[in-house]
Amino acid sequence: MQAAGVRTAGTVLAAATVGLCMAAAPAMIPATAATTAPAIDLVDDRSRTVRLATPARRIVSLLPSSTETVCALGGCDRLVGVDRFSNWPPQVERLPRLGGLEDAQVERIVALKPDLVLATSSARVLERLDALRIPALALEPKTLDDIRRALEVVATALGDPAAGQAEWHRLSARIDAAARRVPPSMRGQRAYFEVSSAPHAAGAGSFVGDVLARLGMGNIVPASMGAFPKLSPEYIVRAQPQVILASDAALREMPKRPGWPALSALRDRRTCAFLPNAYDTLVRPGPRLAEAADLLVECLRTLDEARR
Amino acid sequence: MNGTAPPLQARGIGVTLGGVRVLDEVSIALPAGCWTAIVGPNGAGKSTLLSVLAGLRRPDHGQVSVGGDPIEALAARERARRIAWLAQQGEADGELAVREIVALGRLPHHGLFGAPGANDQRAIDLALEAAGATAFGRRRLGELSGGERQRALLARVLAVQAPVVLLDEPTTHLDAPHQRAVLCCITGLVRQHAAVAAVLHDLTLALAADRVVVMDQGRIRATGSPGDPALHAAIEAVFEQAIVIEPIGRTGVDGTAGTRWVAVPAP
Amino acid sequence: MRVKSGRDGGSTLRFALLLTAASAALLLAGLAAGSDGWSLAWTDEWMLVSEIRAPRSIGAWLAGALLGFAGAVAQGLFRNPLADPYLLGSAAGAGLGVVLVLAAGGAAGASIGLAAAGALLQAGLVGAAFAGALCGVGLTLLLARGAARPMSLLLCGVVVGVLLTALSDLVMLASPEAMRGKQIFLLGSTGFLGWTSTAVLAAVLAAVLPAAMRVSRALDALVLGEASARSLGVPLQQVRLLLVGTMAMATGAAVAQAGLIAFVGLVAPHLVRRCLSVAHGPQLALSAMAGGVLLLASDIAARTLVAPQELPVGVLTAVLGGIYLLALLHRRQA
Repeated sequence: MQAAGVRTAGTVLAAATVGLCMAAAPAMIPATAATTAPAIDLVDDRSRTVRLATPARRIVSLLPSSTETVCALGGCDRLVGVDRFSNWPPQVERLPRLGGLEDAQVERIVALKPDLVLATSSARVLERLDALRIPALALEPKTLDDIRRALEVVATALGDPAAGQAEWHRLSARIDAAARRVPPSMRGQRAYFEVSSAPHAAGAGSFVGDVLARLGMGNIVPASMGAFPKLSPEYIVRAQPQVILASDAALREMPKRPGWPALSALRDRRTCAFLPNAYDTLVRPGPRLAEAADLLVECLRTLDEARR
Repeated sequence: MNGTAPPLQARGIGVTLGGVRVLDEVSIALPAGCWTAIVGPNGAGKSTLLSVLAGLRRPDHGQVSVGGDPIEALAARERARRIAWLAQQGEADGELAVREIVALGRLPHHGLFGAPGANDQRAIDLALEAAGATAFGRRRLGELSGGERQRALLARVLAVQAPVVLLDEPTTHLDAPHQRAVLCCITGLVRQHAAVAAVLHDLTLALAADRVVVMDQGRIRATGSPGDPALHAAIEAVFEQAIVIEPIGRTGVDGTAGTRWVAVPAP
Repeated sequence: MRVKSGRDGGSTLRFALLLTAASAALLLAGLAAGSDGWSLAWTDEWMLVSEIRAPRSIGAWLAGALLGFAGAVAQGLFRNPLADPYLLGSAAGAGLGVVLVLAAGGAAGASIGLAAAGALLQAGLVGAAFAGALCGVGLTLLLARGAARPMSLLLCGVVVGVLLTALSDLVMLASPEAMRGKQIFLLGSTGFLGWTSTAVLAAVLAAVLPAAMRVSRALDALVLGEASARSLGVPLQQVRLLLVGTMAMATGAAVAQAGLIAFVGLVAPHLVRRCLSVAHGPQLALSAMAGGVLLLASDIAARTLVAPQELPVGVLTAVLGGIYLLALLHRRQA
């Protein structure tokens, strides 16, 4: 349990902090080729244009959120390999595991003859895949906006650009629906969302912060501090968050941290603890954020009832 | 090189280390074909003098000249060809074979970028032979006994074939037969007209030299032949001890005729 | 397996031949060690063999050779059998270089647009690691006021290592994205070596090995001690500077291409000296070969031990090197 929590936290940090150049728009460029089968041009986080002759049929995903994005867009059967952390949807568990971001196995990836690889900008494997002329996209959303773009890029790669927008609207609508169920007493409450015990927080500039904001919640970490900044433990004690959200394992040990018993949110149990599977949905920048929003609201409603 | 100038000459050498005058107005000349032994109590400045003579330490004042040329005007390699220096109880150790060590003596001749030629190989063979180190030429320095090691390092110095040879306590840690072997090497060098200076702890060994220099507190107190009574008196004075210096036999270390002297503390 | 020094050069030649044969055999094994176990069906999977296994195997050998060479230089220069190539701040320097570029890339992405930042990252990381390693060593030299005193050089190396690591930590605090990127970049790994990396590694080895071998007699002279080496007319100052330079180049290139790989640089020269007594010239070349053999063997083991999964090669060399040193210690005590 504890180990699982720690591992998940590590994965989250991995997923959350790798991306670098996410601020500008990795938008797709409309295919302009005048040939019979129009080629598909995709622009990734590196502002690199990757051209596919046909929609991708054999996809390797090296990031859990990309795996989930592909599957949400109905491309699950086109995945031929995933990284060792991808675990949703359950059917990807059967696929070959190709290592992580730092130790992706080039040869196994190439042997699977993929026509598209989804990685992140800082993965060393990208350089090799480029040299081997295997189409590879660096996609690592940090904000909700990035998630929308990633959905569109992947949908375009799958040959159905409209599906990306549709999936985005579905996701966005579910977050809005969840927001309407947030009890009024919880609106505007300042939250602390912990992604690792270093402690790293999900700030207002991250996709987690975006979802919280759409739910009407505040954040003790302003966007100016970065998406997932490392905080001093004192910062959190001084900020006195009104709600603390973290993995179940992390929440259990929080009262043991020096000075943290002074956090009124901890004393009054205004906390949301998430088990590993639920936590994954919260910290993976993909379509499952819809479920994450529901989970958050569920917890907020419980807190509201306890208060009465 | 100036034909009439001594191979090595120092004038008015002064060295101050940490506020202490280690050498004070020391002047000394090393003539060709002559072995000079330098004796004195600990801290007399013997090793410092030797390193100044070797050009390894710049004196605060004074002048060292090699064959008439100021030592600091010589290029490092030229100086190394003219002066061979053996460090006091060398820190040398390790995996190198003795022959490789001895071959280093030829470095001043063929240079860092050059390779030893036939000439150099011959010099290496001769040096190994003269130091009695031929037998263990292929063994590692680190595997040798103290005596073998000292002979290997001495061979390295001989391989330079320099006109000036400076030895800092070449007989330390050696037993009597090995001490004798070192003295034989030195007399061999002298026969080839080298100017040799050796710092020695053992007075009896020092009295086998052609000339003895007595040092104390950074100054030269006396210079003389081993039989010189004034020299004996100076030795007693600097060691602050009654020392009996007596002649024995009539045969030198290399079998030539000459008086040998022994020095022992008086009972 | 001590090769007895029977004839002059004979044992050296035999040992060199042994290492060459081992390298050739391992290279063949490297071409056959596929992701799904051993495979000799090279015509069917020519692309995998020529574009992945070949550059990876040759690159691993070259990176190992650079580390073995750098280790031999370090141990000769500092007269210390425990000296290793990362001693003079090159590892910390490479780390800082990578972190700075990652952080700059992150900041640039926000201000100058993605295209420029992306290009910076693409070209930047390898170059930054290399430049960082050189700067680390340069800073050490600066602090030690040259390479004249090995002891203060060593101490300054330690100081620079701590200092630059702290600086990296500081930068990572300001831009946490860099931490993950640094971790990814510097993990000792031979899996991402392509033909370009291989060419760079080969070029650096071809430059530094002959240069260092030309002045290797100075390392031999240093065996006699500092003063004796000077008395032999060796220009120690210049030679040390040159050697530190070659060491920094070799280490920097290896780190930039393959990350931090432990112990190869320490163990390779040890192995050579154990097996035969030889002057530093051949020792440098043989240490390079031994380093190549060690890292290539580790790479193949990393690929095949848990196939179809793969071990990070840096982890493997650390374990093997640790065992070797322990065994050595045990034998010394026995």
